[in-house]
Amino acid sequence: MAPLVAWEALPLAVLLSSLLPGIGIMLLAEEQRRLRTWLNLGGALLKLVFVGLLLQGVAAGGSYAWRLQVVPGLEFSLVGDALALLFVTLSAVLWLLTTVYAIGYLEGGANRRRFFSFFSLCVTATTGIAMAGDLFTFVFFFEALTWATYPLVVHVGTPAAIEAGRRYLVYTLVSGAVLVLGAVWFQVETGGVAFGSGGVVDAAAAAEAPGRYLAIFLVLLAGLSVKAALFPVHGWLPVAMVAPAPVSALLHAVAVVKAGAFGVTRLLHSLFGIELAWDIGAAGIVAALAAFTILYGSVRALAQDDLKRLLAFSTVSQLSYIALGVALLTPTGQIGGLVHLVHQGIMKITLFFCAGLLAETVGVKKISEMGGVARRMPVTMMCFSVAALGMIGIPPVAGFLSKWYLGVGALEAGLPWVVGVLLVSSLLNAAYFLPVIRTAFLDAPASDVAWKSGGRPRRLEADWRLLVPTVLVALLSLLSGVFGGWAWSPLGWTEFIVAQGEL
Amino acid sequence: MPTGADPGGLGALSVMALAILTWAAVGIPAAIALAWAVRPLRPVVIALAPVAAVPAGVLAAVHLGAWWTLPRVDAPSLFLGLSFEVDLLGGAFLALAAFLWTAAGVYARSYHREDPRRGAFFGFFAATMAGNMGLVLAADLLTFYLCFAIMTLAGWGLVVHDRSAAALRAGRVYIILALLGEVAILAGLFSLAAAAGGGLPTGLDLTESWGALGGTAPLVAGLVVAGFGVKAGLLPLHMWLPLAHPVAPTAASALLSGVMVKAGVLGWIRILPAGGEVLLPGVGETLVVLGIAGAFHGVVVGLAQDNPKTVLAYSSVSQLGYLTVGTGLLALLPGARPLVLGGILLYALHHGVAKAALFLSVGLAQRMPPGDRRWRRALGVLVLLPALALAGAPLTSGIIAKGALKQGLGELGGSWYAVIDPLLLLAAFGTTLLLARFWVVLAAVVEARHAEAAETHPSEADPPPPPWGLVLPLGCVVLAAASAPAWLGVLPFPPGTREALGGQLPGVLADAVGAVLPIGAGIALALLMVRSAGSERPGAALAAVARLRIPPGDLVVLFELLLARRPGAAGAVSVLTQRTGKAMAALEAAVVRLHGGLERQDLVLMRGPVFGALLFGLVVVLALALR
Repeated sequence: MAPLVAWEALPLAVLLSSLLPGIGIMLLAEEQRRLRTWLNLGGALLKLVFVGLLLQGVAAGGSYAWRLQVVPGLEFSLVGDALALLFVTLSAVLWLLTTVYAIGYLEGGANRRRFFSFFSLCVTATTGIAMAGDLFTFVFFFEALTWATYPLVVHVGTPAAIEAGRRYLVYTLVSGAVLVLGAVWFQVETGGVAFGSGGVVDAAAAAEAPGRYLAIFLVLLAGLSVKAALFPVHGWLPVAMVAPAPVSALLHAVAVVKAGAFGVTRLLHSLFGIELAWDIGAAGIVAALAAFTILYGSVRALAQDDLKRLLAFSTVSQLSYIALGVALLTPTGQIGGLVHLVHQGIMKITLFFCAGLLAETVGVKKISEMGGVARRMPVTMMCFSVAALGMIGIPPVAGFLSKWYLGVGALEAGLPWVVGVLLVSSLLNAAYFLPVIRTAFLDAPASDVAWKSGGRPRRLEADWRLLVPTVLVALLSLLSGVFGGWAWSPLGWTEFIVAQGEL
Repeated sequence: MPTGADPGGLGALSVMALAILTWAAVGIPAAIALAWAVRPLRPVVIALAPVAAVPAGVLAAVHLGAWWTLPRVDAPSLFLGLSFEVDLLGGAFLALAAFLWTAAGVYARSYHREDPRRGAFFGFFAATMAGNMGLVLAADLLTFYLCFAIMTLAGWGLVVHDRSAAALRAGRVYIILALLGEVAILAGLFSLAAAAGGGLPTGLDLTESWGALGGTAPLVAGLVVAGFGVKAGLLPLHMWLPLAHPVAPTAASALLSGVMVKAGVLGWIRILPAGGEVLLPGVGETLVVLGIAGAFHGVVVGLAQDNPKTVLAYSSVSQLGYLTVGTGLLALLPGARPLVLGGILLYALHHGVAKAALFLSVGLAQRMPPGDRRWRRALGVLVLLPALALAGAPLTSGIIAKGALKQGLGELGGSWYAVIDPLLLLAAFGTTLLLARFWVVLAAVVEARHAEAAETHPSEADPPPPPWGLVLPLGCVVLAAASAPAWLGVLPFPPGTREALGGQLPGVLADAVGAVLPIGAGIALALLMVRSAGSERPGAALAAVARLRIPPGDLVVLFELLLARRPGAAGAVSVLTQRTGKAMAALEAAVVRLHGGLERQDLVLMRGPVFGALLFGLVVVLALALR
């Protein structure tokens, strides 16, 4: 089948579909609620249409790129290839759902114009990161993402939020500066910054000075690792939990952390090439760091009582599955890592949506307060359970597919210790998620909980704008696993990416 | 949908109908379980879950009757590729599963009539059933693993259904062991898939994968043995059985012991190398030794129990020991595979039906009109028939099943046989003793109910209605158990099995005297013990033994005690967890301090968004400079 739309600048349209609403919302007045909502949802739906066209086009063999020369030799390029689309589709779908959720969540709150404007800009930056065709464009959007998310982190304006925002900014700005430094050094050393399948570094040159290339790699990695929440620069993430739930959901599931993980993928595969990265010892470092972070995040999550903090540490752990997978030398392992970009995204956003629902509807924020809460919020807790089981890696939820490919890939690559890390992490995930489920479903509620007296007042257990997106992402988590073998599932698409040789 | 060759000379339409039937056997219970998530559909779940195994039953009937050849169904786009097929091994398990799930479902419908949480029960019931049907039909290993995991996890919901402290404790032990088992199985499957190169094979034949594993094959086999061993009650992973069975609702206990634990044995048979080129030293021997140890452990600890369901659970541990021995023989005697496999199959079916009948009878004892002599007599008959079968009395399925296993053992010959044969005779004696113990504690339950009823209800109070909903399914299961000698012989078995067994069976039946001996001795000793335990004569050794009690779960109690006392030896686990947590927190603190320093340095840079502008300026300038 031929591509439906062969227009090469389609990536730009995808970008503009959230950029223009973002700017438009900023120009509206705070009270223009209806217009703002239409602008927001219209942009999100339009983006989905563009992304759908791109997906169809790329599957049919079309190629899409939009380039703009900034200065001679330095281009601003947006490329809509299969790899970029994996991330773009994830962010486009979740943006729409999170927007609906956020409209319900922030109902009646202050500064919603600022919130939704930056929310759109945040997605724009994420889309840019995904479609960046070279390191320059990547760094541009990577930095833009920092600025677009800061107002969201501090949205509630409490001292704790301001402090969290400050820390977030310090971490990301310092790492951003390091990333720029690395990018410049890379350009000086190799003479180009365009991404290319299988890497753009000249293997012969790298073989002459492996130490220097390793140093460049590490500087770039240091720049990316803050957003990828690799140990020891993950510290901003649990603190940033003061942000409103939709922000935590989108930041932790999609935008910021995935930008980091996607950057690590680009670094390993599009700049250095995975074989070379192993030759100079760089990929080994990524794998070791990721493996440690997986266990570290899980152990830290064990001791948390605050639900959102638990989820944050779980994110730290799960994100490193991606870095670990893409650092493996076998296609199977790389598929496992890459597909976890999507799987972790949909499962974690479910968990954060649920945490937001609990906090907003019945005021429950701590696990110790969750006793019997499933009696009041059965749908929420069912969604939570699906996603949590997926995180543990119970089939058929999506997380199992990632774990399967990662485990088999690691053994094919001759790294049996990775399997040990994966399985221990699974058990640790079970150790911190299963007690939450048990508490919510089986324990008796404390006698003084506020929600108990209310009974079941409405037909729905919560605002539909919060509940519907939550159910949808939970279903996505389940269906991505159940239909894992379908060509259009996240796994099917990831296999397509690897089969195309795009990694 | 299958295409191409036309199996059994059927039209395409009939092939499609058979394919749909295969999907329905798994899909209908799965759909019913999913429907539970939608509140308005829960009455439908409650109504349909008890009979959700009917499609599987029809499928089993088609298979057993050999009316048509059943096609293999594939759905490559579901999960990592789902495929189901009724093969000769799976077919036998399918028949057992379909029969017991239906009987237990009808039983549970009546048993849970007044239960306010019966919706949740039947939701988990249907989910567990879907997993169970799926795993016996699975035509590839990932499908098997998927269904096994679903059955295991949903089974937890059945174990904790009661919500009592004991049920929650049993649930915790169950889930911890189950997850450890899942992880071990998964590690084994990772290895097999990686060794095969392009992922797992699309069928169940793993010979190539095992061959490619080379030196790590024994380790992988160990993981598979331990992983499925949790389900199959392999010593010392059996700890969940005696905790979960007494607390689970009766129908669920019957299913746990009757079919679900057998899934572990099926997992072993499906995954462990089938012999031929790949022979793993040590695996067969380990299984045989652990199996015999389990057979005795179950008897000894089971005798020291007061709850009839706990006694039965330990009896299952003991009986699963025989199946473990059989699996070990499979590995030791690749040449005698049809014979040994036949023995295992006969044993699994025979034990499944008989044990389910005994569990269901406990529920009847708790619900039947107290004090009514006719009911007591009926209960006696309903218990006696399957109990005799389990003990291996002449003319029962037990003697055939045990005989078949023994023939396999005979093939082994040599010193192994010389040691094991007398041990099995001793174990048969123990089985009788244990079933006598069950009889005694069950009688105590009936007595206690009678006494209670006499106290609370004056004689003219309305007696509770006779629980026909319980009697009917129980009667069917008992009938199946009693008639097993007739139907065991007509089952379609894997090629060569019937021939291998056929020659041996008359010999087995002739050895009836050998079978009566341990049973007679067991009953005699049991009578003696009951006598002496009743009389308070001091110093009687038998009385002391009869009064000995071991807490259910045996080893797990030791673990719990040690874990409770922190500084103890096994408390190391919790100490380790704590220490790791503390070390990680300390690491975090150090990182924060380090970052704190960085943050202070950085504050200068933080004056407003100027920094960002500076940064981009820097990039552009540098880029320009480099041209």
